[in-house]
Parts: sequence; structure tokens; C-alpha cells
Amino acid sequence: MTKGIVADIERSSLHDGPGIRTVVFLKGCPLRCEWCHNPECIKKEPQTLFYSEKCIGCGKCEEGCFSGAKIICGKEMTTDEVMKMVLLDKSYYAEDGGLTISGGEPLMQGEFTLSLAKAAKEHGIHTAIETSLALYDSEVLSSFDLIMFDLKLPDDERHRKYTGIDAKIVKDNILKCSELGIPMLARTPVVIGVNADAETISEISDFLKKVPNVYKYELLPYHPLGTVKQKALGISVRKFEIPTKSLMEELNNYAFIR
Amino acid sequence: MLSYADRIASMRETKIRHTLEKRTQNGFTDLDDFGTVPLSEGYEVLPYYNSENGSFYGAAAMAENFCRVLDAHEAYVDPMEMLCGRWRDMLVNYRGDIHYMPDWMKKNEKLRNFVAGDVTAQWSKRWDEKRFPYDDLKPLQKLYNIQTGIDGDAHFACDYSIGLELGFGGFLDKIEKYRTINKGKDEFYDAEEKCVRAMIRFIDRHIAKIDELLSKEKRPEIADSLGKMLKCCKNVRTDAPKNFHEACQWVSFFNCFSRIYTRDGAGFQLDTVLLPYYENDVKNGVLDDETAKFLIANLLLIDPHYYQLSGVDAQDKDITNHLSYLVLEAADMINISCNLTVRYHKNCDQEFFKEAVKYLFKNKNGWPRFCGDAALLDGYMKNGVSKEIARERIAVGCNWMCVPGREFPMNDTVKINIAKVMEVALAELKTKKERSLARLKEIYQKHLKKAVEVTAAGINLHLDHIADVTPELIMNLMFRGSLEKGEDASRCAELYTVGVDGAGLAVVADSFAAIEERVEKQKLLSWDELFDALDNDFADERIRLILSSCAKYCSGEGCADNHAKWLTESFADAVRVQEMPYGRVLVPGWFSWARTIEYGKAVGATPNGRKAGEPISHGANPNPHFRQDGAVTAQSNGIAAVQLGYGNTAPLQIEFDPKISASEGGIEAVMSLVKGHFERGGTLININVLDSEKLLAAADNPDLYPDLVVRVTGFTAYFASLSPEFRQLVIDRFLEGM
Repeated sequence: MTKGIVADIERSSLHDGPGIRTVVFLKGCPLRCEWCHNPECIKKEPQTLFYSEKCIGCGKCEEGCFSGAKIICGKEMTTDEVMKMVLLDKSYYAEDGGLTISGGEPLMQGEFTLSLAKAAKEHGIHTAIETSLALYDSEVLSSFDLIMFDLKLPDDERHRKYTGIDAKIVKDNILKCSELGIPMLARTPVVIGVNADAETISEISDFLKKVPNVYKYELLPYHPLGTVKQKALGISVRKFEIPTKSLMEELNNYAFIR
Repeated sequence: MLSYADRIASMRETKIRHTLEKRTQNGFTDLDDFGTVPLSEGYEVLPYYNSENGSFYGAAAMAENFCRVLDAHEAYVDPMEMLCGRWRDMLVNYRGDIHYMPDWMKKNEKLRNFVAGDVTAQWSKRWDEKRFPYDDLKPLQKLYNIQTGIDGDAHFACDYSIGLELGFGGFLDKIEKYRTINKGKDEFYDAEEKCVRAMIRFIDRHIAKIDELLSKEKRPEIADSLGKMLKCCKNVRTDAPKNFHEACQWVSFFNCFSRIYTRDGAGFQLDTVLLPYYENDVKNGVLDDETAKFLIANLLLIDPHYYQLSGVDAQDKDITNHLSYLVLEAADMINISCNLTVRYHKNCDQEFFKEAVKYLFKNKNGWPRFCGDAALLDGYMKNGVSKEIARERIAVGCNWMCVPGREFPMNDTVKINIAKVMEVALAELKTKKERSLARLKEIYQKHLKKAVEVTAAGINLHLDHIADVTPELIMNLMFRGSLEKGEDASRCAELYTVGVDGAGLAVVADSFAAIEERVEKQKLLSWDELFDALDNDFADERIRLILSSCAKYCSGEGCADNHAKWLTESFADAVRVQEMPYGRVLVPGWFSWARTIEYGKAVGATPNGRKAGEPISHGANPNPHFRQDGAVTAQSNGIAAVQLGYGNTAPLQIEFDPKISASEGGIEAVMSLVKGHFERGGTLININVLDSEKLLAAADNPDLYPDLVVRVTGFTAYFASLSPEFRQLVIDRFLEGM
């Protein structure tokens, strides 16, 4: 039985693809984006998060923490175990909703991701993946009904600076992915000081416009909620300014609409 | 020239003004708005008492006081409206019960002293304890924290088709006819006649008032409207309504009367009962849809009675019609808190269902709500009721059902606090040498049986004597067999399927789960440590957290969901095996909305980590923080699995901020949720799509909204459980996205 390291399973999601969805967050990501909102999903191994404000100071950490201060993120689960959770909500998926594999980067656990997508298909459940496309695996990606991906910056230099890898890798993967004939939803997280300008967004948009399977391009405003988790993980926290509604509206003028 | 839209805007402004004035007169209230208007200046009623304890009982006294209150009501005519008549005061205020007394009455010293008399410790003087004592039942009622239903009123529904066919004059004729047939029932018929004559006087005052306003009215369109109102009132004064306008006016008047009498708020299937009038008027070219909508909006403004829409008939055929759509549009026009319930069935018009869900998003006012025809019907038929009759059963109360004009269910008035029953069981277990969850459950069942027995005794006392205490003189007029037999509705109903609800399901299920996990399986605590912690109200916070951090009911994980199912089966069994006389049947349910704070005060610390005196859980809902993501689908599954199965409800109550707009798939998502819940056997859904004001109020005081779920990042969480820092982040993002 295929196994994987799961960070969390969220039910009733209305934001990770169409309809009502169950989102499986997998651990492990090859990118190191400074604004990452799921920093607990970067490492593949289980990790302990410590929320100091929840600690009651009982001094009995070794006997188990029950206050929610110490939380272990990352649990090994089999495909069947995950599917059991996914099937709990089958009554609500209707035609649109279903399973979304997210992360982290699901392609870091390609075999497990594939196994989950296949299992969902056997039950007639719609499948979607949220991927950075920093990696590429045609077998895994082609097992999904919808591919949601990011293009954060258009040029290698800045992409490397802010995420750790060249934009070319992602762009090549986007083009390869398009050949699979699966609907693709493109997104850019708008981060002030990184890509929140008309020129950058236009450049990304121009590239994406030429990708035939991309049916929609969305700009998502940066939000600082990941910083709380960064603090709990004991890693350095970098906060960015939150884009205003008017800035997002302005930038949306440069994002293409199909 | 004033359009309907202008007039609606004016009506809404008047409504807001009335609400503020009422707050000054009555103080803050946790009760329904009821559609009342403020008391007019100089309003005063001196009640007639026939009991030495400072209250009044029986048909003659009730009728006398109803007439005194109704006669004191000034006519209410707003030229902006097409319907007239409002209620301002109710009979219960005068029954010598300081606890129900509104502020305006307390401020009137003469009246206050007259009404309250000697204030005793007795909670309610609505029951005639001198004639019908129940001191023998009180110790166990108190032990198990039972809401007895004794002295309850109006928790049934009358059949409006009877009244619409007869009119007020027809009531008088019927009273006269049966008075001669049923000899020796003069007190009953005298009382009924007296009430109906007071109703006609009330309408006469409105006719005079409209006349007066009409003579001064300069705006032609308003003068025309007042002229129609005048004609309408003259026609329904004694005659049965003949057209849509008259039917709406007749219902409005009747609702005023039944509200004044017992605050009755049970309505009817609006889109079928009024359909013949609508269709006939449209066929004759005297009614257009805009006017029909304005009239319905006016009807809804006058009183937030419980009205149903859509559903299927006894052949499972869809009954949705054009009027169903007009009612939704009318409710949208007036956009106040409407008690509209949409009956869902897989055969129903799915376009209509979608329209109904749209308004949840558009107005964020919690209407409409949805009930599941299939599970309610199948369940109710288990009481030996035919499919035809079962199909007539509709949602006519906050979370309860009734067959109009046939059933006397006392629904929503009888509750057993099972958290208290568990507390009694735990106290007994503490004295035993052998302690186990299995033993606790056995003891719980023994006490539950006793609680049901004493509840049943209270119900029987109530049903045996309520006709002599608070006969339902107004609703009797539209109750099958009442006037025909000269009997109160409580004595002539075809169906006595009496609702008995459990309260505190999640508290007990989570407590059992905590014991199973932490005491028995993991042995993190001994029984002695558990009992000590309960006794000292969790002086050690770590112990409380050990217990409260177990997987909870509705989480879909751990054992709490199984305990909830066991509690459901044991509650249903205990209620169903209870023998009742005269064909009475007890029907189990899980709803307990209004009094969870009060019930909680009666219960000490519980093994789920709940501290002494904290509120118990709501209805069939899980405890707050039942899952980190607060998944509505998990909640839906959990609640669908604890349906009692006899036609009463275990409602799903959801308040959430979908953070997606209607056009981005929000409507389809809610439709999937509603359908999914009903497919799994759910009975009733109250959905509150969240508005920004609520979230901002919660930002100032999170404890006000312990069930508020917010989207955080990759997951959703309970707002109140977030750290202050996190909360601020959510608020900032929310404000940003507005």
C-alpha cells in the first residue's frame, strides 16, 4: 500500500478548486518562497510547531501536550486511510467538487499523489492538484481533472532570488503540462516588493496567455498568516506589506482574462 | 407618485423606528420580534382575575381578558401599506408573572402592583397549581432539569383553510350552530363568541381609522390604495375573503388575534393556501405580480409567522408554483428577518431551490431555511400516520413541525437536559466500587428512563387540564373538530404526537468519549482523578485539557460520534417505550435552542472539560472547536447520523463565512451541502451566511460568537480560539477584502 507524509486534511474547502472539496496537504517542497503561507509543509519530515501563547506552563511536555501549544505536523498515512477521509464527504461533492492535493509540492510525493488521484477516480470523484510546477511528472499530472499552478515571477534572476530556482524550469513545465490537455488555472501571489507592479504582472500574463490550456489567470493577494506558523516553527519571519484592494484592482487590469 | 419600492422603503424605515421605540418601552429582549408595534400613548388594560394567586384561568376569564386587551388596541393603519392591523401587547403579560413582565408594565406602578401582586418564588403563574398541583413531580423534574411543558401554550398549528373559508362571520355561525347541538357547553361557546365579536370590533376600528385617513389623503395613488384597503376590511369584517388582497388581510388580522392571545407564531404553506386566490385574481385580470409581491411583503412585515414554500404532495409530486417564486421575491423586497422554510425533496423544482439559496447570499439574513421532506415524512409515518396526513406536517416553529388543525404536539415545550441526567449518573457511579464507562451508561439509562417517566407524567397533567387553564380560544376556531364538538384543541386533536427533546447531546457524547479515551484506554487519568477534577471544577487546567482535547462529536474521528449515535438510540428507545394514555405518543427530538445557557447553569463540570455552569451544547450541534477546520460537511454528517427518526428534527445549524461570492460558486456549494445533508437523512437546516458586521462585532468580543468559523490560511478555524495576534490578521484580511 502506497504511503505518504500528510501535513493536514481539510474538509469543506470552498477555495481550493470548484465546489466543496477535501484538501490533502502533503509535506515537502523544493521551493523556498519568502512569503510562504504554509511553511510547515516545506520539509518532508514531520515537525513540531510550538505556539507559545497556548502553553499553560505545566512543565509536563514529555508526558504529552494537550493545550495545542505543541503540535506535530506530518503523519504517515496510506492511500486507504486518506481515501477514507475523502469519502466521508462524497455526498457533498456533486459534479464540481472533490479532492484537491496540495502542499507543499505534491509532486515531491509523486507516487502517493498518483495513488490518491487514481483512488479518487475509481470512486468517481473529481480531482485537482495545486502545484508550483517546479517539478514535472506527466503520469502524475495527467491523472488529474484540473491543474492549479503558480507563476510567481517571469524572469530567472528574481525567481531564483525569491524562490530558489529559475523561472525557466517552471515555464518549461507549464508548457509541457499544457500538452496534457487538462484544464489549467494559473495564479500569481502578489507580493509587494517582489512582483506587485504592472510590468511584472504583464510579463507573466503575456507568457500565460500563450498557454492554450490555461482557462483562467488569478492574482492572489499576499497574506501574512504564514508568519504565525513560521514563528511556531522557530524559523526567521519575514513580513511583507499587504496589497491594498485598489492595488489588486489595478494589477488585475494587466492580468489577462480568457 | 409613490411606487411600490418607495412605499416598501418607507415601511422599512417605520419598522426600524418601531424597533427602537420598543427597546425603550420593553428593554432588551431575547425573544422574537413578533412584528409588534409600540404601545400607543395612554394604553392601559386592567385585567380581570379569577384566581386568588393573581392570575386568571379558564375559558370565561381568558375570553374576558382577551377582549379587554384587544379592545384597548388602537387601530393601526399606515397609508404606505396595503394591509392594516398590528398587535402591541399580549395576554401573558397580565397573568401575574413578574418574570414575563415588560419594562413598560414594571414602570407603571399601579399596574405592576395590580398584576404582579405578591411575587412568589413560583416561576410562572400561567398554571393553576391550586386546582392542578404537581408537587409530587417537582423533585425529579428538578433533579433532571426538565422543562415540563406544563403551562405551555400555542405550540401547535391551526388550519388556515378553515378560517379562510368561513371568515369571522362564519365562525359566529358555526358557534351558533354547534352550541345548539352540544348542550351544556355554553361557557366554551360563550367564550369563543365573545372573542370573535371583539375581533370584529377591532376590524371596525380599522374601518373608521381608514375612513378618517382617506378623507385627508391628498396623494391620488395613496388615496386609491386606502380606498382599496377600506373596501377590503369591510369585506372581511364578517365575510370570508374572496380575493388575494382580502385573503392576505384576513390572515394578518387573524395573526394579530392569535399573537395577542398566546403569541402563537405558527403559519402555513403560503404558496398553496393562497394560490387559489392568486390564480383566480390573475385570471380575472385584477391582480398583477407586482401588487401580489407588495401584498406578500406587507404580510411578512406585519408578522414573522412561520411560512412554508415548495415541497411535494402525497404522491411525491412537486408543489412549487409561480407564487412560491413571488414569495421569495417579496421577502427580498422587505428583507427583514423572515421565518420562511423551503421544503426540499429530490422531486422539487431545482431552479426554485437555487433561487432560495441565492437569497441566503444576497441578504445574509438567515432566510430561508430548509427542511428535508423525505426524512420528516418517513419518520412521522412511523407514528401510524398515513402518508397524506404526514405530508401535511410542516415546519411551523423555530425547529418543530405540526400537522395544521389536526395535531396537538406541545412541540418545543418539553425538554430533558441529558447533561444533567449524566451528572446524576456520575454521582451514583462515584459511590460504586466497579467503575467503567459501560456501568456509567447503564446507570445513565436507568435515570433517563426515570426522567422520561416524570416528563410523561407532566405531559399528561398538562394535556388533561390545559383546557381548564389556558384553552386555545383563538386557534380553536381553525382546529378540526373543536367548534364541532365544543372542545378545546387540547381535547379534540386527531394526533397527540407529543415532542420530547433532549438537550446537551454534544456535551454528553464528548464526555463519554473523553472517559473512554483518557480514563479507560490511555489511562491518563484514574476515575478518582476524574471525579476530583469534576468536584473542584478543573482546578488543574492540564486535566481539563487532557479531557477536552479528545476528538469530538461531529469530527468524524475518534469515538464521540459513536457515543452520539448510542445516545440517540437510547433516547429514542426511552421515549418510545414510555406508555401513554388516550392514544398519546411521545416523539423524540434533539432541539434546544433558547435555553442552553439556563440549562448549563444547572449542570456542574462535565468530563468533556466543560466547566460548571457553562452553557450546554445547542440542539444537535457539536461543541465549539469540534474540528480545527470547522468543516460544515463533517458537522452535517455528524448531525445526519443522530436523527431520531420519528418525524421530529435534529437540526443542522450553520453559521459560516464562505468567503466566496454567490457568482463564484457559493450558491452551488450551499446547494450541495443542503442536498447532501438531506440525502443522508437530515431533517432541518438553518444556514447563516455570515455578514461583516457580525465578524467585526466578534472582533471586539470573540466570546459573543463562539461558533464563528473563519478562513485562516490552508485551513479554517474558530475565531474565538485564535490568538489575539491571529485574530487581528484575519480581521485585517477581511477588511481588506470587503
